[in-house]
Amino acid sequence: MSNASRSVSLYHRLVVWLLFLILLLPLAATLLYSLATQWSATLLPSGLTLKWYAALWSDSRFLIAFGHSLVVCVGALLLAIFLVLPLMFVIAYHFPRLDALMNVLILLPFAVPPVVSSVGLLQLYAGGPLPLIGTPWILIGCYFTIALPFMYRAISNNLQALNVHDLMDAAHLLGASTFRAALLVVLPNLRKGLMVALFLSFSFLIGEFVFANILVGARYETLQVYLYNMRNGSGHFTSALVISYFLVVLIVTWAASGLSRDKS
Amino acid sequence: MSFLSVKQLHKSYGSTMIFQDIEFSAKQGELVTLLGPSGCGKSTLLRCLAGLTPVNGGRILLDGQDIAALSPQKRGIAMVFQSYALFPNMTVAQNVAFGLKMQKVDRQTLIRRTAEAVELVELKGFEGRYPHQLSGGQCQRVALARSLVTRPRLLLLDEPLSALDARIRRHLREQIRSLQQELNLTTLFVTHDQEEALTMSDRIVLMQEGRIVQSGDAETLYTAPATLFAAGFMGNYNILDAAQASALLGHNFGQQVAIRPESIRINASEGPSAEIIGHTLLGNVIRYRVRTMGIELLVDVLNHDASALRTRGTHVTLGIDLSAAREVA
Repeated sequence: MSNASRSVSLYHRLVVWLLFLILLLPLAATLLYSLATQWSATLLPSGLTLKWYAALWSDSRFLIAFGHSLVVCVGALLLAIFLVLPLMFVIAYHFPRLDALMNVLILLPFAVPPVVSSVGLLQLYAGGPLPLIGTPWILIGCYFTIALPFMYRAISNNLQALNVHDLMDAAHLLGASTFRAALLVVLPNLRKGLMVALFLSFSFLIGEFVFANILVGARYETLQVYLYNMRNGSGHFTSALVISYFLVVLIVTWAASGLSRDKS
Repeated sequence: MSFLSVKQLHKSYGSTMIFQDIEFSAKQGELVTLLGPSGCGKSTLLRCLAGLTPVNGGRILLDGQDIAALSPQKRGIAMVFQSYALFPNMTVAQNVAFGLKMQKVDRQTLIRRTAEAVELVELKGFEGRYPHQLSGGQCQRVALARSLVTRPRLLLLDEPLSALDARIRRHLREQIRSLQQELNLTTLFVTHDQEEALTMSDRIVLMQEGRIVQSGDAETLYTAPATLFAAGFMGNYNILDAAQASALLGHNFGQQVAIRPESIRINASEGPSAEIIGHTLLGNVIRYRVRTMGIELLVDVLNHDASALRTRGTHVTLGIDLSAAREVA
């Protein structure tokens, strides 16, 4: 390798590292702050402690909020699986032309800003035959629409790579009913796309704040709403909360990327 | 008594006719090839026989039973696809065993018959592999084993060799043929390749634009094409109009005449003289282009000896037997 190309590659590496540092800095500072006994008048924290984490993980209000977040996310994702998977199979197998329509539909949750749609949802579900505002149900339904694009994209890529028609034909000729063929032959091949979609939507949904705050708020406190309500308390405590939340998302994302890689 | 007989079968999508008036039959253990250019309806016909596509009318009699209204699961027909259609989430053994599992045969029988089928296609030792770990030829052999394991009454092969390279294709072709004969399995084979059709079939059904043009054994289809299309499809026939043929052969013809290139000799002692205007080397055969009386002809000669090659401009004497000329509609 010549001198010039070595210095170029050094330059490239420097830029990447710099970018990485800039992105990492706030997180590292938060981590340090969450571990500090006190950090106000000095350049470095005066001592390190885990007491903020201990306080956080023994706070029943935090644990309940965490539980609420999990219930709402998992509920929304379960709803998505049971509605979207059969829907996508039917579209791929019987009505491939509807795919274009679905591609427009799944963009709608992104096209309308959350603040706007939450006001609409407030009006619709505050009273009337379905008074859902303030219950976790409204969040599950709402999060379902947010998860839809992730699910649809990932699974539809997976389905297109699969020759669904020939596989179904082969299974039919070997004596399988349409239901069994879909269950035994098509579904197992969608596992990868499904897993990626689930983990991706999970990390996204557990950090959702706008809908949770406006539609439900303190009546069914989720993690982000709890964080928001604690904003006037100790900064060390909320830092511990942010880092804990970040770790959960990191683990989930890492698991997703591990699963999306080929086993072979 | 024919084992499979198809009567008056027709199929259309709206006003688009896919095929009509399809009538043919196959004896027990026969391999019948449906041959034709792409878009002639042969693959759709095969799917209709399998029950994957409904027909608009006609009867399909298999072993004396009309199966036209049965679902594909109940027909006892197996099919091998051009795309292999192996289940990617299952191993070779699981793929092969799938049909037996659907039939709910007991576990011991399932294991024994799966092993037999895998051995039949010479894939012993590959049972634990996944389809993406196999070559194209191996994949198609798994698909074949998967079809044979349920002991179908009829085997359908939909261009099973088209996605494979030439050497594997020849080998698998022979393997399929010998398995089919060994099991005495009635088989329908769809292809657009006339060489494949000629080498494998007991009988050939030639299709064009949704109709059967001619059917018969390979010998008949090759030496006695009934129409211009058949002559053009089955070999590299020289097609002459009535006047040209009459002049060249000294015999009165009322119709167009087809002459196979290998039935013309270029070293005859007497006959029309011609000039070589080019040649193509096909390996074991040299194909000359010659001109005589303003007519261009193709002449195939065995490639005995490199020194015997006639160069462009050489004058030769053509020998054409009257019996080799065939009038076609």
